[in-house]
Amino acid sequence: MTFDWTTFALQLVNVLVLLAILRHFLFRPVAAIIAKRRAETQAALDAANTARAEAEAATARAHTEAEASAAARAGVLEKAEADAEEQRRKLLSSAHAEAERIIAEGRAALTRDEAAATARRMAQLRDLAAAVATRALAAQPAGPQGYADRLAATLRAMTDSERAALLKGGNLQLVSPDDLPAATLKAAQDALSNYGATAQLTQDPDLIAGLELRSDSGVLRNSLAHDLDQISSAMQDDRASA
Amino acid sequence: MIESPLTMTTAFTFGPLAVTWPVVVTWGVMALLTVGSILATRRLSTRPGPVQAVIELVVETLDGEIQATIPGDPARFRALIGTLLLFVLCANWSSLVPGVEPPTAHLETDAALAAIVFAAGVGWGIRAQGLGGWLASFARPSWVMIPLNLVEQVTRHFSLMVRLFGNVMSGVFVVGIVLSLAGLLVPIPLMALDLLTGAVQAYIFATLALVFIGSAVTGEGPPRETAAPASRQKDTP
Repeated sequence: MTFDWTTFALQLVNVLVLLAILRHFLFRPVAAIIAKRRAETQAALDAANTARAEAEAATARAHTEAEASAAARAGVLEKAEADAEEQRRKLLSSAHAEAERIIAEGRAALTRDEAAATARRMAQLRDLAAAVATRALAAQPAGPQGYADRLAATLRAMTDSERAALLKGGNLQLVSPDDLPAATLKAAQDALSNYGATAQLTQDPDLIAGLELRSDSGVLRNSLAHDLDQISSAMQDDRASA
Repeated sequence: MIESPLTMTTAFTFGPLAVTWPVVVTWGVMALLTVGSILATRRLSTRPGPVQAVIELVVETLDGEIQATIPGDPARFRALIGTLLLFVLCANWSSLVPGVEPPTAHLETDAALAAIVFAAGVGWGIRAQGLGGWLASFARPSWVMIPLNLVEQVTRHFSLMVRLFGNVMSGVFVVGIVLSLAGLLVPIPLMALDLLTGAVQAYIFATLALVFIGSAVTGEGPPRETAAPASRQKDTP
């Protein structure tokens, strides 16, 4: 066995050359691509961390804005409630004033209406009174003698039974508002005597004018007061039916 | 008839220069590794394919081994350790080609590799510690140890050379003997064993080279745990 120094030298050179070749064509490119991938991975991680930080900051900002919005909303609501309350108060005050004005106007109108109604009623009463008086006066006979004549005519117009019931009733009286003239009283008593009855004269100022025959069983109306009542009742019935 | 692996056969002469077959086979291995490297790194991407993933796995494993032995940037030693690993592995496995003897089965190749490791250790040791520091490292733990450390500095690289030579040469020897005695197919199991031995030897050579360089850089002796493969390797054929 010998040691070939030439081969040793060549192999030494060969390995050094191979070292240079592999360093250039294998290890450097592979190490570079590994470093590049690590850099990209680190960049992606940094970007992800940055994005996460930004997302967290955005979330914090969103929370802050949400809280601010909630506070603003509460403020707006509170202001709106205050405004609404103020508006309600104003409306109520205005409504009260308007109601009071309407009530005052109503009361004034009522007062006016009542005055007008009273005036109308007074006018109606005046008209009624005038009509009643006109009618009554138109239906009245002329003077006490006329009443005596109308009493006699009424007696004659009554049926025998009605007349007998009136005349036999007892306490038979001739009633006038004041003293009658003698002729008139005589004429009235004569008319009674035709049927066998007598009566004393009594006075009743409420009759106003006229001559009535009263007994315990009835009254023969023949007076201005009675006519006024009759006419007034008839006119009130007519107004009611109208 | 298989020739003895201890003999050196000249392939051709180039003037006065006699080029032997181990050199020619080494050139073949160099061409293979060069072409393979160029092809493999031709289209590197940050999204690797299967081939690139395997290459990156090898490089990253290599970096991990370097960092576990020598603290700091592994890029300083990556090319040397990686080249030693790939070359020894391919050289050992070149015996699979019929009629080819692995260059590492010849002492000159192993001596060249050991010389490179020795020179790298000296160079990086002086660069890391300075000349005085590097020389002072021979006096640790005591100046009494200077002769022993000097002898060790030579012997451990010599053992590195002889270990690789002995293992590979013995494998070739055994296969040659069995082939000459038994026949064509009988050596195949031994050749398969040679594949395993070749891979193990490549790993051991690269690891020991790393340990030796690391000890020179740090100024300390090889750690026990990293020196263990060397003691185990002595028992291998």
